[in-house]
Amino acid sequence: MPSLREVQNGFLNHLMDANAVSAEAWVMADGLTPAGRMQIYRNNLYTSLSDALAAVYPVIQRLVGIEFFRQTARSYTAQHPSLSGNLHDFGQAFALFLEQQPYTHALPYLPDVARLEWAWHESYHAAESGPLDLSTLVAVPVKAYESIRFVLAPSARLIHSPYPVLRIWQVNQDDYSGDPGVNLDQGASRLLVLRQGNQVLLQELDQGTFLWLQALAEGLPLQASLNRAAAAQPDFDFQTALHRHVHQGTLTEIRT
Amino acid sequence: MPTVGQNGLVDPIPARAGIGLRGPHYQALLELQPDAGWLEAHSENFFGQGGAPHQYLEALRAEYPLSLHGVGLSLGSVDELDPRHLDRLDDLVRRYQPGLLSEHLSWSSVGGVHSNDLLPLPYTEEALAHFAGRVRQVQDRLGRRILVENPSSYLRYRHSTIDEWDFLVAVAQLSDCGLLLDINNVYVSAANHGYDALDYLASIPAERVGEIHLAGHTANRCGDRTILIDDHGGPVAEPVWELFKHALVRFAGIPTLIEWDSNIPTLDLLLNEADQAQRLMEQADAIAA
Repeated sequence: MPSLREVQNGFLNHLMDANAVSAEAWVMADGLTPAGRMQIYRNNLYTSLSDALAAVYPVIQRLVGIEFFRQTARSYTAQHPSLSGNLHDFGQAFALFLEQQPYTHALPYLPDVARLEWAWHESYHAAESGPLDLSTLVAVPVKAYESIRFVLAPSARLIHSPYPVLRIWQVNQDDYSGDPGVNLDQGASRLLVLRQGNQVLLQELDQGTFLWLQALAEGLPLQASLNRAAAAQPDFDFQTALHRHVHQGTLTEIRT
Repeated sequence: MPTVGQNGLVDPIPARAGIGLRGPHYQALLELQPDAGWLEAHSENFFGQGGAPHQYLEALRAEYPLSLHGVGLSLGSVDELDPRHLDRLDDLVRRYQPGLLSEHLSWSSVGGVHSNDLLPLPYTEEALAHFAGRVRQVQDRLGRRILVENPSSYLRYRHSTIDEWDFLVAVAQLSDCGLLLDINNVYVSAANHGYDALDYLASIPAERVGEIHLAGHTANRCGDRTILIDDHGGPVAEPVWELFKHALVRFAGIPTLIEWDSNIPTLDLLLNEADQAQRLMEQADAIAA
């Protein structure tokens, strides 16, 4: 009699890969074939994981079509199986996977669109955060300014792409009814993904602000983050950027 | 209306028909607050830290008794219980104080890889000891009793030595858990494996049953056999309503849920199904009285 561990190992191998036949010998045929019975579970597995992926990546599904998306989801699942009992965790490596697919040569923006959709998904489920308490900023002595560290909201994500991924994302929303055209030569996108209340916002940033927030997200102190922004964009307006990102909740805390 | 969570007390699930809580209905439920007896949420849908799901669940929790139903804990796995999963579940239970908490007689993962499906266990002495031990572990960790639900299945193992209903009852006795009796799953598995659904029900001790589920299934042709698939994608089938009527003779006064998880219907249609369950429960009560 096989042990429970043997059964579970053999069964899951067989589900993921129909050529691994180890589980069939343990299954009663009962008017069908053991393989036919296993196939029911295999269909369930690939269908539910493909549906979960489509729920996180609706724009990718629209760009490649439902049928092609299903095939892609199946190969993704075989290469990057689910590692959590929570389906919301499934699909994290999809952008990386898309980068390695031959058809991505024809649609080179796919991986970055996938990155944006994953960022949206994470932001949607991220922890709540309050606005920065300005009195903590006032309390910082001037000579300590350059070494303070700002903490970004748990729902904040930064996405940089050489493609206009925000435009691609917008024209592929179900409720979008405007001009569907996208000019791929429009240039790079530097985006902030941030949740306010229940709403996930996608905001285009200038280069200086993007680099500044990215440096803060990496944990750099204020002066180093400003240096990085100013090196790339000499007219970077720190006062305006600070006001905006304190006001809209991108920055939630100061550590000295 | 019960106002829970506010006093921090567990709000018991009433012996009425309730509905499964699904994303497309959050807004309508809040605005209309229809007369559903209670709501049941999939625990994992609220494993995120914040945002819309929790804001809706908070608001709905203040209006309805709530049950939490897990699909991802993988009680039957030989892998260690996932501590992150248990922590998230524990957080949810503390925050929302559900009246009932349930999981499945199945396994999902091995070697860290998850099928995110409810896979069948071989019904052996080894599996029984393992499963009952896992239920005890979860109950100890969460500090409360859980209900274990009978699965739908599409295969049986050659080396199983215990009937499913006996296995289920033994799990309940060994771990002192309750049972969630899914009438649709009894019907589906009985049809797929050629046993008698009424025998199954007759073997379940009524005092162990804390909740009943009803759901839709579909019939698929596989070669020259018809296999019923538990897809929760349609209304409760007529023979499942019939089986529910039989069940009500033995299992009276038990909260009953309509589950509808794919091809999600309008809220009205879902509430109609719950009304039908409610009427049958009231008829059974009237006959018993």
